[in-house]
Amino acid sequence: MRVLLVEDEAELANNLRRALSDDGHAVDIADDGEAGETLARRGEYDVIVLDRMLPKRNGVKVVENLRQAGVSTPVLFLSALGEEDHRVEGLNAGSNDYLVKPVSTRELLARVRALWHGRDRAAPATKLNVADMEMDLLARTVTRAGKKIDLQPREFRLLEYLMRHAGEVVTRTMLLEKVWDYHFDPQTNVIDVHISRLRAKIDKEFATPMLHTVRGSGYRLDA
Amino acid sequence: MIEHEPRRAASKLGLPNLARLKLTRFKLARPAFLRPDFWRRLAQRTIMLRTVTFRLALVQIGLFAVFSLALLGFVYYATVVQTQAEADASADQEFNELANVYERDGMGGLNQEVFERAATAGPDLYVLANEQGEILAGDFGSFPQTPTAVSQRAVFQYKTVQASNGEAVVNRARGRIGRLNGGPILLVARDMATSSELVRRVTQAVYFGAGLGFFLSLISGYFASRQAARRADALSRTAQDVMRGDLTRRAPVVGANDEFDTLAQDLNAMLDRIERLMRSARTAGDAIAHDLRTPLTRLRTRLEAALESPPNEDADREALRRALDETDSVLATFTAVLRLARVQSAAGWQFQRVDLSAIARDLVEFYEPVAEDGGVSLSSEIEDGLVVPGEASLLTQALSNLIENAIKYTPAPGRLHVSAMRNQSDRVALSVADTGPGVAPEDRERVIDRFVRLEAARSTPGAGLGLSLVAAVAEVHRADLKLEDGLGGVDGPGLRVTLTLPVLAAKG
Repeated sequence: MRVLLVEDEAELANNLRRALSDDGHAVDIADDGEAGETLARRGEYDVIVLDRMLPKRNGVKVVENLRQAGVSTPVLFLSALGEEDHRVEGLNAGSNDYLVKPVSTRELLARVRALWHGRDRAAPATKLNVADMEMDLLARTVTRAGKKIDLQPREFRLLEYLMRHAGEVVTRTMLLEKVWDYHFDPQTNVIDVHISRLRAKIDKEFATPMLHTVRGSGYRLDA
Repeated sequence: MIEHEPRRAASKLGLPNLARLKLTRFKLARPAFLRPDFWRRLAQRTIMLRTVTFRLALVQIGLFAVFSLALLGFVYYATVVQTQAEADASADQEFNELANVYERDGMGGLNQEVFERAATAGPDLYVLANEQGEILAGDFGSFPQTPTAVSQRAVFQYKTVQASNGEAVVNRARGRIGRLNGGPILLVARDMATSSELVRRVTQAVYFGAGLGFFLSLISGYFASRQAARRADALSRTAQDVMRGDLTRRAPVVGANDEFDTLAQDLNAMLDRIERLMRSARTAGDAIAHDLRTPLTRLRTRLEAALESPPNEDADREALRRALDETDSVLATFTAVLRLARVQSAAGWQFQRVDLSAIARDLVEFYEPVAEDGGVSLSSEIEDGLVVPGEASLLTQALSNLIENAIKYTPAPGRLHVSAMRNQSDRVALSVADTGPGVAPEDRERVIDRFVRLEAARSTPGAGLGLSLVAAVAEVHRADLKLEDGLGGVDGPGLRVTLTLPVLAAKG
């Protein structure tokens, strides 16, 4: 996929470009807000990774301009400003996700992929299917190989997110933000415990495990 | 450029100097007190005139002067005008009596009567003359006033020689003079000496009283304003000392329980808070230095060692991995410090209606599995519809810190109880209680202080920040934060942390 990276710090930009390229993306770099906006307006990109404090035009303004001009390319903010109000401000401007610097490369790659895939699934679905697992979003039921699985409401939402991002790595932070809407860093392995509970329900009685731990990154639901 | 040359030359020739000279001369010729700012400056220099109390005293003195004048006017009316009127009335009556005597007994009778009356001692004065104007009887050898055909008011002065020292004294008298029925001319008058003496005394008394009053209010105004000025000066001196950096200075409270005392107490409360904040900032600075320097030092040593040891891919990778972990822990501390600073410094959070019941329920559900995994059972009792004014993300963070702290410090098997209830005073008590070792009562204040960690907790990194953030969030929400004994158990009394928040309204 084509990624536009708008970042004025050269070394960081180069490292991110390398990481994104290694992950199989074509990357263009702009080093100020104006240049970034000009490139983004062409609409040739699948995802835009945008620094917030940029020379010439700040990131928030760039997103606002793009959205006003009808450019709907998903935007991921990458910012040194990390408080709740900064995040809300960034999202209100029209960005799709918000990451605080410094960020681990794996987190960034997972978010970029999630943004791209998320766009495909914007259309409301009533059923999600991954391998032999089926989720009925209206009846709020889950079956695997025809067998009904009982889930707590929060477990249901956790599984829903994993199914929507099947085949992708989702990080703990992503789960924390998207499933629970929490924006702090838990000091305990609370996400892991939730995952292992879910795993006990969806994988235990079946031959092939679907929910995998990706070492150092997070989790992945595979077919 | 060329056109401008001559003008510049002219100005160089001294036109401005001339103007300045004129101005200076004018200034010199003017007496100092005529300068517009002279009196203002003088007033400013005179401390007394600046004080509010003295200005009030001046106003009071002014009012007193007006009152004294009014009193004087009243006394003048009551004495002078009244006695004059009485003198006139009594003179008129006697004039009429004598006129009747003349009617009844003729010239001889009148003459006899006037003679007798004039001989009697008293303030009464008489003069009788025949129709040709020759004086027949009375106190004077002539009329002080030319009589006319009709009777009229007579107001005159006359001199008498005092028997004691031979001095001539001017007396005032008033009465009636007139021609009786085309015949003799008669003057009946009253000497006003006694009444004017009375007026003089009363006026003197009023003058004296007013003067004394004026003087006393001046004195009391002076002392009151000096007292007020002194106390205001004491307050402002305190403020100046504090501004110069002496944060231990406090404004004097004299115990009069007046507005100055209130002001001083408020000022002192403010200074206490500033001092506390400064001290905690200083402690925090030291603690931040410690908490960031320690892992950074470890990181540096580790990288240095890896660089200096002979290349070995496995060892190098391990060193890098651990360096990355160390960096993450530094970043976590850094983020926590930043958040804490932001919570504490941000003025005027935009508070919204926050459903505390929902927040608590979600967090209990969130942490229940991890607590259970650690051998701690998490129970809860959460009342419905607890809506508080606040900032949801901060309250969530605070409660999650409390729960995580409790999970961390409660050894298995243990219990953890989260409750959110409306208390008797109609506030919301949000509390997290555990069966851990607890905190000794004397350490509780310190635990809340930013970054001050209990020595026993030193082994678990980042623990100090958690409660500090809770304390900061509590302060932002004007909530009370209380540490008590918790559920109790084999590991100690346990700890109960309670946040008491104001409640908005009940929803359910």
